[in-house]
Amino acid sequence: MTGRRGGRDARPTLQRAGAALLALIAVAALAAPVLAPHEPGEVFRDHAFAPPMPPRVVDAEGRWRGPFVYPVRLVNRLEQRYEEDRSRPLPLAFFSRGRLVRLPDESQGPWLPLGGDGSGRDLLTRLLFGARTSLGVAAVAALGAILIGLVLGGVAGYAGGGVDETLMRFSEFVLVMTAVFVVLALRSALPLLRPPATVFLLMSAIFALVGWPWVARAVRGVIASERTRDYSVAALSLGATHTRLLVVHLLPACRRLLAAQAVLLVPAFVLAEATLSYLGLGFPDTTASWGSMLQDASDPNVLLRCPWTLAPAGGIALVTLAVNLFLEAEPRPPR
Amino acid sequence: MAGIDPIRLLLIGQLVGLEGKNLTASARPHLVVVALTVSLAAALAGCSRPGEQPAAAQPKARALVSSIRIEPRGFNRYVGRDSVTETIAHLTQGKLVRIDRRTQELEPWLAESWSASADGLTYTLHLRQGVTFSDGAPFTSADVLFAFRAIYDERTHSALGESVSVGGTPLQVSATGPFTVVVRFPSPFGPGMRLLDNLPILPRHKLERALDEGTLGKAWDSATPVSEIVGLGPFVVTEYQAGQRLVFARNPRYWRKDVNGEPLPALDRLTLEIVPDQNAELLRLQAGQIDFTQAEIRPEDYATLKASAQAGRIQLLDLGVGLDADAFWINLRPNKAGKRSWLQRAELRRAISHAVDRHAFANTVLLGAGVPVYGPITPGNTRWYAPDLPKFEYDVAAARSLLTGLGLTDRDRDGVLEDRTGARAGFTILTMKGNSVLERGATFVRDELRKVGLAVEVAPLEGGALIERIERGEYETVFFRFLTTDVDPALNMDFWMSSGLAHVWNPSQPSPGTDWERQVDQLMARQAMTLDQAGRKALFDQAQRVFAEQLPVLQFAAPRIYLAISSRVHNAAPALLRPAILWDPDRLTVRGTPAGAH
Amino acid sequence: MSRYIARRLLFAALLVAVSSSAALVLTRLAPGDFASGLIGTSGGFEAVARERERLGLDRPIAVQYVEWLRGAVRLDLGTSLLYRRPVTELLGQRLANTAILAVAALLLATLAGLPAGVFTGSRQRGVLPGVVRLLSLVFLSLPPLVTSLVLVLLAARTGWFPLGGMQSSSSEIGGALSWLTDLGHHLVLPALALALPLAATLERLQSQAMADAVSQPFTLAALARGVPRSRVVWRHALRASLTPVVSVYGYVIGGLLSGSLIVEVVTAWPGLGRLMYEAIRARDLYLVAGCAAAGSLFLAAGSLASDLALAWTDPRVGRA
Repeated sequence: MTGRRGGRDARPTLQRAGAALLALIAVAALAAPVLAPHEPGEVFRDHAFAPPMPPRVVDAEGRWRGPFVYPVRLVNRLEQRYEEDRSRPLPLAFFSRGRLVRLPDESQGPWLPLGGDGSGRDLLTRLLFGARTSLGVAAVAALGAILIGLVLGGVAGYAGGGVDETLMRFSEFVLVMTAVFVVLALRSALPLLRPPATVFLLMSAIFALVGWPWVARAVRGVIASERTRDYSVAALSLGATHTRLLVVHLLPACRRLLAAQAVLLVPAFVLAEATLSYLGLGFPDTTASWGSMLQDASDPNVLLRCPWTLAPAGGIALVTLAVNLFLEAEPRPPR
Repeated sequence: MAGIDPIRLLLIGQLVGLEGKNLTASARPHLVVVALTVSLAAALAGCSRPGEQPAAAQPKARALVSSIRIEPRGFNRYVGRDSVTETIAHLTQGKLVRIDRRTQELEPWLAESWSASADGLTYTLHLRQGVTFSDGAPFTSADVLFAFRAIYDERTHSALGESVSVGGTPLQVSATGPFTVVVRFPSPFGPGMRLLDNLPILPRHKLERALDEGTLGKAWDSATPVSEIVGLGPFVVTEYQAGQRLVFARNPRYWRKDVNGEPLPALDRLTLEIVPDQNAELLRLQAGQIDFTQAEIRPEDYATLKASAQAGRIQLLDLGVGLDADAFWINLRPNKAGKRSWLQRAELRRAISHAVDRHAFANTVLLGAGVPVYGPITPGNTRWYAPDLPKFEYDVAAARSLLTGLGLTDRDRDGVLEDRTGARAGFTILTMKGNSVLERGATFVRDELRKVGLAVEVAPLEGGALIERIERGEYETVFFRFLTTDVDPALNMDFWMSSGLAHVWNPSQPSPGTDWERQVDQLMARQAMTLDQAGRKALFDQAQRVFAEQLPVLQFAAPRIYLAISSRVHNAAPALLRPAILWDPDRLTVRGTPAGAH
Repeated sequence: MSRYIARRLLFAALLVAVSSSAALVLTRLAPGDFASGLIGTSGGFEAVARERERLGLDRPIAVQYVEWLRGAVRLDLGTSLLYRRPVTELLGQRLANTAILAVAALLLATLAGLPAGVFTGSRQRGVLPGVVRLLSLVFLSLPPLVTSLVLVLLAARTGWFPLGGMQSSSSEIGGALSWLTDLGHHLVLPALALALPLAATLERLQSQAMADAVSQPFTLAALARGVPRSRVVWRHALRASLTPVVSVYGYVIGGLLSGSLIVEVVTAWPGLGRLMYEAIRARDLYLVAGCAAAGSLFLAAGSLASDLALAWTDPRVGRA
C-alpha cells in the first residue's frame, strides 16, 4: 500500500497507526479465549450492571502492590447500587489456566474488568467475543461483495455498450433499494429460532448482496479505461482471447482498488450489523456481537448510570477510525 | 441504512475521484455563490436559540402532561379495544356506573340509583337529570338505548357486544321514561351491574345515522375532526397532531361537582404526548416534560428514578403487589406433543414448579420487587385471592423424582435427561422480544430447568409473530404476560372456560377435553350465575384449587407495582389496572394552585 | 440530453414501482400481521381475530396486492391501518418533516465541513490542520446511532433542548416567529446527530479535492503570476475542487432522506424514516409500500440530480 507521497507529510504515520490499530483489533478478536477472563455465556446473577473493576497497583493506603482488584458487592438490588470493598485487595494471576489474566479468588464475586451488562455477564469477555462475530460477519460479507462486484463490474466494464448500461442500472437499483430492503428482507427471513450460525450466514449474504454495487462500479470504471489502453489493444491483436485479457491482465489492475474497497466495506458492515442487531433484526442477545450488546445501551437512562455499556460503540468507532486513518494515506490511483 | 451512510459517502468520494474527472476551472461560479448565499440565509433564519421552554399561555392554567405509547387508532370505543382508545374514553365519555378501582366498589355515575328485582335479573336504573353532552344536547334514556343497540348491531363488529352480555346472550334494555332504563339479564349473572362499567354512552345525536346505515364500525376514526367528538366525560378533545400529541381541555358542561360543589374537572388542560419508546418516555418524565405515564415502571427503571425522587422532582408510589404475574404454559392441544408424550403430562408441570426457585426468580427477574405466586390470582387481587391453595414449592429432589417417574433419566451421564427412546429431553420457550422482564424471566426459567437436566432453549419472537404462533398452536411452550382487564373472574371467562379463546394452552374446545377442565368449566359457570359474593368466592376457590393441582399455566412471581409521577401532580388516585391514573381524571390537579377559581 | 433525462425518469418510475411492490410482498410474507400486533394492549385473542376479519387481512396475498396496485396506478396508495388516514397524506406530512431535518443537517454539515475541508486541503503541514483532520476522522467514525444517543443524553442532563418531537403543544405558541424558534429548538438535536458524521465526510472529501486542485498546474501558474495565496485557494482552487464535491450532494440528499431512520427513531422526530420503522413493526402493509416508494423516489431523484449536476459542471463526463 505504499506509494509516492507527493508532499503529504503526516500520512505515513497515520497510515501506520491505522494499520496497527486494525491489527490490534484483529488479534484481540482472534485471541479472545485467552484474553477474556470468563466464558461469554457465563451469567453472574448478582452483578447485573455492576461497575467496572479496573486493575490497580496502588491500594487505599497508598502502598504499591502487585496488580490487584477490589471486589464489588451488591448493596441494593432494586436500586442497583454496588459498593467496592476496599478492605480486600485480591491479587490477579497472569498466564494461569490458559488465560492471560484472571482472578483466582472469586469467592467475593467475579472479576468484571469493564463491568457487567444487563444480565450480569462480563462486558470485556463479550466485547472480545463480540469482535469475532461482528468482524467475522463484516469480513465474510466484504469478501462476498468483492467477488460479486469483481465479476459483474469486470463484465460491465469490458463489454461496454448495452451490457454495461444494464448492469450499471441494475447496480443502481440495488443501491437505491438497500436501506429499505435490508430491513424487510431480514424481517421476513428471520421469523423465529435463530441459531447464531444461521444469522451469521444470512447477514453476511445480505450485506454482500448490498455492498457489491460499490465494488462493481469502481471495477467497471477501471476496466473500461484499461480496456482502451495500448497494451490491451496490443494483446488482443496478438491473439489473446477476451477472457484471458480480462482475467490475466485487466482484473489484476484493480488489485489496489479492491484492497481499498475491502478495507472500506468492513467498517460499513460492522456498523450495519450493529445497527440491525440493535434494532433487534440481527443477532439475538444470547450471541455476543457488538450490535446485540448495544441493545443494553439503547436505554439512555441505563447509559447515564452505566456508561460502560457503550463499550461496543467504542469498538465500532475504533475499527472505523483505524480504517479511515489507514486510507488517509492511500494515494489516489493514477488517472 | 442509516449506519452505512457516512462510509458510503466516503466510498462515493473515492469513486468520484476514480472516474477520472479532470478538474477544470469551468465550474460554474454562480451556482456556488447562489448556493452558499441561500444556505447562509436559511441557516440564519432557522437558527435555533437555546432558551427556556415556552411559557404557558395563561399564567393560571392548570395543565398536566402525560404520555401514550401507541398512535390513537380512533375515538370509537365501541370498535377500538386498545389501551389508548380506552384512555380517551375515560377522558371524554361517561358511563352508567363506575367501579372504583381502588376499592372495587360499584359507584353510581350517570345512573344515579338503581334497584334490582327479587330474582336479580332485572335492574331499573334512574338516570341523572339535567346532564348534557359537551355540545349541549341533553342526555336521556334514548342515548342509553342507542348505546346498547350500537354494540349489539352485527354491522358494527363491536367486541363490546360480547363482553356486555351473559354467555353470549345480549341484555335486553328498554326505557320506561326519559330518565328510567330497565336492564334485563338473560340469566343470573354474578357481577351484575359491574358489567356496565365497560360501556361508555356515545352521543346518539352524532352517531345514530351511522348506526342506521351500518357504518358505525368506521365512524369516529382518527381522521375525524375533533370538534365532532362529543361526550359526557370531564374533557373534550381540542387537538390531535398525528404522531405528536392529543390535547384535551376541560368540558365546561361536565355534570360532576366536587365535595365543595365546585365544578369538575380540576384541570384546565391535559396533553397526551405520543412517545412510542418507553426509554424516551422515562427520560421525558425525569426532565419534567411529562408528569406521569399510563403504566407502571419496569423494575430496572427504579434505580434511575430514585435519584430524581430524592431530588424531589418525582414521587415514586408503591402500589403493592400487582394483579398479573408472567405465565409459563405448555401447548396442551391434542396431537401437538408428537413423539414426546411426557411433554403434556401434569407431572412435568409439577416438576417444573418444583424446579424453579421463586424467591431467586423475584430477585433476578424483578430485582427483588416481587412476591412468589403459585397461581393466576395474585395477592394483589384482594377480593379473589386464595392463600391456602396447594403449592409445589422449590424442591429440586422432588422435581427430579417426578421427572424420573416420567421416564426421563440421564442415561449417558452428560447432564441432560433423555426419554425412553433415548432422545434428549428438552423444549423451546417462546417469549416476546423487546420486553426485558419477559426475556429475563424466560432465561431464568431456562437456567433453572437446565439444572435438573432439561435441555431448554429460549427463543424471543417479535410480538406479532409470537401471537400468530400461539393462535395457530405452533409452539412447545410460551412465557408471556396477560394484562388483566377486570379483577372479577366472571369477566375473564375466556381464560377459565375450555371453550374460551384465551384458554391459551388449549383454546376453543368444542367440549372439555379433560376431566379437570370439565370440572373447572362447571365451577366457573356456577360461579358466574351465583349472585352473592361469598358463594361465588367459595366456588371460585374450588376452581383455583383444581387449577393449582393441574397447573396448565405456571406463575412464578408477581411484581410490586411502582408508579412514577412528577411532584406537580396532586389528587391522583393510582390503581393497579391501566390506565393507572387516568381512570379517575376528575380531581387531578396541579400542586400549589389554589382550588376552585376558574 | 432530453432523451437521457426521459430515460432516467422512466428508470426512476420503474424503480419506485418495483421497490414498493417488493416491500408490500415482503411485509405480507413476514409472520404476524397488523391484527396480531394488537394483543397485549387490552385486546384478547378474540379481539385480534375479529379485527383481522374486519380489516380483511386474512385474504390471500395476490388479492391484497392487486387491490393495492389498482389504487397505486391512480396515485391512491390506500389507507394506513395504523393511523387510519390516507397513505399519501401521511407521506406528504412526514416527508416534509424529514426534508426539514435533512436540509438543516445538510446546511450544518456544509457550513462546517466545506470550509474546514478547504482549510485542511490547502495546508499540508501545521498543527491546526492536523487537529481538524483528526477531529474529522473521529466524527467520521461515530455512527448516527451513537451520536443521536449521546446527544439525547446530553439534552436530558442539561435540559437545554427538548427531548424529541418536533413542536411543543400549539396552544403555547403564538405567532410565526415563535413557531419558527420552537421548531429550531427541537431541530437542533436530530440535525446535529445527522450533521456531525456528514460534516466530517464532507470535510474529508473537500480536503482531498482541494489538495488535488492545489497541486494542479493552473494553481502554480496563478501563484507564479503573483496572485495572493488566499485568493488562489478560496477562489480558483475552490471552484475547481467543488466539482466532485457537488456531484456527491445528490447522493447525500437521497441518503439523508432514506437513511435518517435511526436518528428519527431515537429522537422521536416525526419523519419518513420513523414512519417506515413504525409501519414495519406494525405490519401496516400499505404504509410500508408507500414509504418504500417515497424513499426510493427520492434516492432516484437524488442520483439523477447528481448526474445532471455533474454533466452540467463538467461537460467532458459522458454517460456510458
